[in-house]
Amino acid sequence: MTTTTATTATRPAARVVDAVKVYGGGDTAVRALDGVTVSFPAGRFTAIMGPSGSGKSTLMHCAAGLDTLTSGTARIGDTDLGGLDDRRLTLLRRDRVGFVFQAYNLVPTLTVAENIRLPLDLAGGRGDQEWIDALIDVVGLRDRLHHRPAELSGGQQQRVAVARAFAGRPDVVFADEPTGNLDSRSGEEVLGLLGRAVRRTRRTVVMVTHDPVAAAHADEVVFLADGRLVDRMESPTADRVLDRMKAFEVPS
Amino acid sequence: MNAAVRLSVSSLRAHRRRFAGTFLAVFLGVAFLAGTLVMGDTLRAGFDSMFGKAAGGTDAVVRSADAITTPGESQGVRQPVATGLVRTVEKVPGVAAAAPNIQGAGQLVGANGDPIGGQGPPTLAGNWITDPQLNPYRLAEGRAPRKSGEVVVNRGTAEKGGLKIGDTTTLRTPDPVRVTIVGLATFAGEDGMAQVTFTGMTAADAEKYLTARPGEAASIQVRAGPGVSQRELVDRLSPALPQGVEAITGQESAEENNEMISSQFLDIFTLFLLVFSGVALLVATFSIHNTFAIVVAQRTRENALLRALGASRRQVTATTLVEATAVAVTASLAGLAGGIGIAAGLQALFPAIGFPFPEGDLVVKGLSLALPLAVGIVVCLGSALLPAVRAGRTAPLAALRETAVDTSGASRLRAVTGTGLIALALALTLAGVLVSPSVWLAGSGAALALVAFVVLGPVASTTAVRILGSPLTRLRGVTGALARQGALRSPKRTAATASALMIGVAVVSLFTVFGASLKATMDQTVSRSFAGDVAVSAPSFGAGGSGLSPRLAGAVQELPEVNTAVGLGRGVAEVDGEGRALTVTDPAALERTFDLGRVDGSLRGLGTDGLAITEKEAARQHLTTGEKAQLTFTDGRKETFTVRAVYGQSELAGDYVITRAAWAPHRTQDSDTLVAVTFKDGVSPDAGKTAVEKTAARYGNPEVQTRDEYAQSSAGGIDMMLTLVYALLALAVVIALLGIANTLTLAIHERTRELGLLRAVGQTRSQLRAMVRWESVLVAAFGTAGGLSLGAFLGWVLVRASDGSSDSDFAFAVPPAQLAVVALVGLAAGALAGLRPARRAARLDVLRAIATE
Repeated sequence: MTTTTATTATRPAARVVDAVKVYGGGDTAVRALDGVTVSFPAGRFTAIMGPSGSGKSTLMHCAAGLDTLTSGTARIGDTDLGGLDDRRLTLLRRDRVGFVFQAYNLVPTLTVAENIRLPLDLAGGRGDQEWIDALIDVVGLRDRLHHRPAELSGGQQQRVAVARAFAGRPDVVFADEPTGNLDSRSGEEVLGLLGRAVRRTRRTVVMVTHDPVAAAHADEVVFLADGRLVDRMESPTADRVLDRMKAFEVPS
Repeated sequence: MNAAVRLSVSSLRAHRRRFAGTFLAVFLGVAFLAGTLVMGDTLRAGFDSMFGKAAGGTDAVVRSADAITTPGESQGVRQPVATGLVRTVEKVPGVAAAAPNIQGAGQLVGANGDPIGGQGPPTLAGNWITDPQLNPYRLAEGRAPRKSGEVVVNRGTAEKGGLKIGDTTTLRTPDPVRVTIVGLATFAGEDGMAQVTFTGMTAADAEKYLTARPGEAASIQVRAGPGVSQRELVDRLSPALPQGVEAITGQESAEENNEMISSQFLDIFTLFLLVFSGVALLVATFSIHNTFAIVVAQRTRENALLRALGASRRQVTATTLVEATAVAVTASLAGLAGGIGIAAGLQALFPAIGFPFPEGDLVVKGLSLALPLAVGIVVCLGSALLPAVRAGRTAPLAALRETAVDTSGASRLRAVTGTGLIALALALTLAGVLVSPSVWLAGSGAALALVAFVVLGPVASTTAVRILGSPLTRLRGVTGALARQGALRSPKRTAATASALMIGVAVVSLFTVFGASLKATMDQTVSRSFAGDVAVSAPSFGAGGSGLSPRLAGAVQELPEVNTAVGLGRGVAEVDGEGRALTVTDPAALERTFDLGRVDGSLRGLGTDGLAITEKEAARQHLTTGEKAQLTFTDGRKETFTVRAVYGQSELAGDYVITRAAWAPHRTQDSDTLVAVTFKDGVSPDAGKTAVEKTAARYGNPEVQTRDEYAQSSAGGIDMMLTLVYALLALAVVIALLGIANTLTLAIHERTRELGLLRAVGQTRSQLRAMVRWESVLVAAFGTAGGLSLGAFLGWVLVRASDGSSDSDFAFAVPPAQLAVVALVGLAAGALAGLRPARRAARLDVLRAIATE
């Protein structure tokens, strides 16, 4: 393994090696991941792309510790997720991982401020108030802190979700189709927010998307097809990503 | 198969768990109701056959015609008939045999020195009737009594007291009599007439110890010759009897006895149980309604889809109703089986714990099955009706929207209606309690208050949960805050869930408060009017026991430590056509041991024609000191008494006081119910009590109690009643728990996505479990708080209403310790109800919960 020799700068924030995930068994078994090895470097914004059923969401779930691999290893930093029980996995998610979901998934009964602080409150710590304050300004929700999610627009709710994901200064934030439910202007805002967070605060973001425009906001795009890693692309643009995606539609 | 039915069947199959709570609620309610009805019928039949057997060989009973009944008593007191009448009766054509039946109270002392029985069923002594057909008892072993001091006892009594043939023991009549057992008897093949103890003596002994004068019997039992019916026998006997004596058929006698047991005990007992099944079913109604309301809310999308596909409103409503019917019918049928099981179990259990129930097969009447079945189905369908109609109203468009929890708060209409109801309830109650005392007015006010509480529930729940939950946020941080939010989410649902528990807790608190008030009343009565140092009383309950020997008071008076010892006996007479209880005592001594309040006139020298009465009775009968009143005794004799004193307080001393000398000509078996003793100055309470105990030991060893002990033992029956009430209400609380658990499980199902999110962002399983548990506790706390306040209020109403409608003063007491226990039980119940839903919620798969559909 090369982890011991890797320098801090290029150390991957999250990594999967030979990841295999099989759903079901026997004749109906589906190989969602078929030997994927990929690392997500720290301080970078990586997008995972691929057609429907390519396994991109499964890859993210397994890398984030929401799901377990059938074989292979998944690590967050130096921690091997395979060796953790449910409780340690939960604590790891709470302390070192952030999530942004397509359906916002805010707790409807909590205010914006409470939603943002939720992971910190669950951990029972006070958190870094300055950091939270700065986050609130970055997402631009200071005047909405005491509103409930139902009183916000979709874009605003997703910005709350982003702030929540970064609240605990996680090693890595996983975003699953964060713009899927948003109009293009709100989507742009959220993506800009993710990009700024990565570049200004040196956080790591891994985003699953099928939208080339969204992927263009990332530093790098990895392409999945049929459960395998098929390509990587540095400094993507929407056009290049679109072209690459079109190639999947032609049987190779 | 019809579409609605097919949909319901598939839904029921898919969501069996959802309906488990509903099923159990209906099942328990119906089982309890059916069990009560079956047990009532079984007991009635058992007593019926028992009295039938007792009167088996008796074709007619000759007895005195008039009975005097005092208020609060169903069984009148009858004067005895002359034993000499037997010879007259025997001469009547058609009479095969006649025997006097001399009967009185007689309690045997067992081999270990403790009296046998006396805790409910009668302890009887009588003459051993030699005609085997007239005597319901048969000799099983030994022989009949031949000479004085020899007795036959029923086998059950002998076994209970560890006595056998040849043993010598004491029979309290209540004067202790030494008796030797010469025979054991059975009753209709059993060891006894249920738990009644019977001691048969020679006729001479019976006359000597059980009647006031020789030559008297309670009744004469007559057997008809061949070919003479009971009715014919009575027709022939009647003309031969002197005035004031009547003949009734054996069958009528048995029916009378049965009726007496029914009205005195069985009806009340059954009614009591029915009230509790009513409470249980009421609580069940809330649980069931809630389940269906949630199920319908969760199925909004599915129902909307059905509507979009062309299902009519009626079809969608029918789907829900068919489900409800299926649950109702299966649960009710199962409940019937359970009810019969309960009745069978109780039948087996009661004799074991000393309840005087006769044996016999279970009597399952059609009504006992039809009624609970109908009630179960009606309750279940009624509870599901509103949700079903709501399901039918689902707009087809709802299929396209995200399913939302019904978070609508309380409407203004509800708040206004509820407040109006509360005001009306208060007005009615206060009018019924304070202005013009009326139990009915107060009762309807109380019922209305219950309705108002239920109506106001959703209005109050938001504020109440917020207040109750505020310490939780501080104590348990975000877990507590989330639990509180969960309980606040849907005020209507929280209120409906809590209502079930509220009703249970309200009834428990009502009885707790009422019981404590009764105890306080007793305590107050004793401490106010009992001025003696110790009281001697025979511990007894119901028809058992034999009272105190009338010679005890005299013997205690002889002690050097004793200043005054006064015995109180009981008599009856009619005053102005109404039966009244008389206190037979030494009035002069009475004044020294009881505080009689203000006395107008003098209690000394009442003589044989003097009477002392309370102010209340004086007012009622329009009598004052010096005026004359006519008393009619059981023997039909009328005598004129002069009111020589009017006293203020009647508690313990009774309303009418006459001397022993005045009562003696009319009395039956002589006994005292209480001997009150005051010590001489300088005698320590312990020394005095020991001395009295020593003397009492010679008179059947009755209990000697200090003033406090006496007050406490007077209230002993209340604790027993409360225990029974609590046991019965446990059922209602269990149903309420099922309701909370069910609602919570369904609410969690609804919030799957949210819970998954919490787990994803780092809530541990134990945090999630704690959150659900606390939510449950909060809902329970709301119900408990409502129940406690409602119960305390209803308790106050009941106490005040009883105070207004009865002669004695009622004290109102709120027992803080007991109510705190009730509150704790309510909260613990909430925690318990939350256990399973919490476990289920924690098992939830994070990925599934957050997956986009």
